[in-house]
Amino acid sequence: MSLKRSVLVFLSLALVLSFGAATLAQDTTLTMLTHWGTEDQLAAQQAIIDAYMAEHPDVVIELVTVDFGELRAKIITGRTAGISADVYHFYHLWLPDFVNAGVLAEPPQDSLTYIDENVAQGTIDAVSTSDGQTWGYPTEVNPYLLVYNKRLLAEAGYDAPPANWEELKEIAAAITQVDDSGAISQVGLGVMPGWDSGIVHPFSALLFSNGGNYLSADRAMAEFNSPQGIETLQLYADLVASGGTDASINGLANFPSGTVGMVIMAPWWRATLRAAEGVDFETEVGVAEIPVGPSGDAPSSIAYTWLFAVDSSSPNKPAAWDFIHWMNAEHNDGAGSAIGDFLVNALGAIPSFNHDQAAFADSMSDHYVSAFVAASAYARPEQIVAGGQEIKTLLQAEIEAVLAGMTTPEDALASVEMQANAILEEQRMMAEE
Amino acid sequence: MKSSWWMPDIPKSAVLRRRMFWAYVFVAAPVVALLVFLAGPILFSGWVSLHRWDMLSPVGDMPWRGLQNYVFLLTRDTIFIKALGNTFLFAIGGVGANTILGLGFALLLNSRIRGRTVWRVLYFMPVITAPLALAVMFSFIFDRNYGVVNNVITALGLPRQPFLSGPHQALMTLIFIAIYQYVGYYIVIFLAGLQGIPQDYYDAAQVDGAGNWQAFRFVTLPLLRPVMLFVVVTNTIGALQVFDLVFATTGGAPANSSMTVVLHMYNTAFKFSRMGRASAMAFILFAIIMLITVMQVRLLRDRAYQD
Repeated sequence: MSLKRSVLVFLSLALVLSFGAATLAQDTTLTMLTHWGTEDQLAAQQAIIDAYMAEHPDVVIELVTVDFGELRAKIITGRTAGISADVYHFYHLWLPDFVNAGVLAEPPQDSLTYIDENVAQGTIDAVSTSDGQTWGYPTEVNPYLLVYNKRLLAEAGYDAPPANWEELKEIAAAITQVDDSGAISQVGLGVMPGWDSGIVHPFSALLFSNGGNYLSADRAMAEFNSPQGIETLQLYADLVASGGTDASINGLANFPSGTVGMVIMAPWWRATLRAAEGVDFETEVGVAEIPVGPSGDAPSSIAYTWLFAVDSSSPNKPAAWDFIHWMNAEHNDGAGSAIGDFLVNALGAIPSFNHDQAAFADSMSDHYVSAFVAASAYARPEQIVAGGQEIKTLLQAEIEAVLAGMTTPEDALASVEMQANAILEEQRMMAEE
Repeated sequence: MKSSWWMPDIPKSAVLRRRMFWAYVFVAAPVVALLVFLAGPILFSGWVSLHRWDMLSPVGDMPWRGLQNYVFLLTRDTIFIKALGNTFLFAIGGVGANTILGLGFALLLNSRIRGRTVWRVLYFMPVITAPLALAVMFSFIFDRNYGVVNNVITALGLPRQPFLSGPHQALMTLIFIAIYQYVGYYIVIFLAGLQGIPQDYYDAAQVDGAGNWQAFRFVTLPLLRPVMLFVVVTNTIGALQVFDLVFATTGGAPANSSMTVVLHMYNTAFKFSRMGRASAMAFILFAIIMLITVMQVRLLRDRAYQD
């Protein structure tokens, strides 16, 4: 054999062997898709991932984050393109759509048992379909409450937040300030147009505090077009008429700058409020129960949650579930989980798992989060249903139309009810096909 | 060798045959790309528009819906009807203003005004500015409470206006922003057209006793008709497909008063997972654009020939 041929054979063998060795030693790569995208949140998530990879050197985890507004589209397009993530963190309202389309993998029995033993039943229901199947590890629980600026209330002559709708209207109108040119420099109740949850969740919290319902108990029919629902939307119309609210002042953007008296909001806002320059978190930010409506008898609220789940097409489902479990499990007694720590300390949200609620009780004991923890005991979970996102968006547009004076509460709710029931009927037919 | 459909019967030197072969190969590459990336998706979209598909289920499992998506859009989808009306208004306002202003400014810039180059650059700058940046900038400028436009308006003793946050003004404000954004482009197009008109024609008109208006009416306008056709057709097609500006400023709010067809299409596809209905919207919009374009071409081209 000539020298040239020997070298060629040797190189070929080396190539084949190295390829085989590389294949054998290949790491398991997981992609996790979340919507937590600020610099601090990214660093906190990466720290969790790094800790897991240090314990599991054969696993590589890549973190992908997108804005909440694009998360659903990212999941859908990723699936269609065949480049879906292995691990998703998503809003539970989308769960029925994803389950019907076969997007999600069923959790292993160990995980289901762990969730059953460590999470309140209401929260488990929020990440389960109507057949009782749980699809992932619930994460943050977000009830809505009335967040208010104590200084602005005091300046308007009030030392306590409103307990009912008459007080809400009175205080909101008293806080609002309009200058000679018609510019609103301060508004009583801030609404959040352009954001479906920012409009529909506060409406639902007020609706429930007025004795109303969103959907029927079996989730087959819309029930917001009721006398209680019309009263709730009339409250918005009254607030607009009295100047107590104005859609041109966004509550989410302007409360931190100290120009909004009250906003109905979720706990994860704490980090923003702590960093706010227009309002002092410790001394000026107050949290109160949702004011009770004329047809209600006690404060109520709505709570939504998110969950970690695994894509059904993931080639690494056991590894993905192991990673999710590792993030959510308590590894040392009383220390809480990695995700619990992230939710409480980076977001200000309430974790789902009992061990996290116990471990981080001190962190959740401040005047802000503690009120939401108390509300999570009675807040009604957002009812999830296939087509729920579409119904929510339709309702958002009609509530905004009332805020803009374009329609009446009666017409608005009748219109959404008709469309919502058509969507629910269509989904039922789809399920039967 | 016999000729075939792909190899016509032409002088049969070996060199020429080889050249012809490679010519077909090179032509085939873009044709294949066109089929794969344009014709294929269009046909697929047409097929999807006859189904209910959430983009998540396998394509083979799409339930057949026939023309239901089209019927629903045209008879029951109030947001689509509203979006269609808004899109027409946007197109009519935008195309009309861009054509008139584009031509007007081009005439000015074509004359011997001082600092002509600087003016041209200034008018063209919004064209090369990112639409998102413009959207954010105008959101501040037109803010109801803090916006500079409202400060000027109230300083003049006029009432404060909601602009983008008002259901009756949001669409008009968007049209204004779109005109600001694109008029510079059409100025450049008209300017090129004006500079292509030989001076001899104007000299001849002057000899015949034509004034400025008559020269414009009987020389400039007829000779600009091909340019006008290009401006009107491309501007209409672009305006009927408006998305980014609306998405970034109002998102269709308040209460869908500024919703456009493509934004509604996006929401329907990616927020509501109704790809079949969104595809049907795309085809309806395509048919409308095609119809309007044919009408515009016939109207302007035929008149250009008559002139």
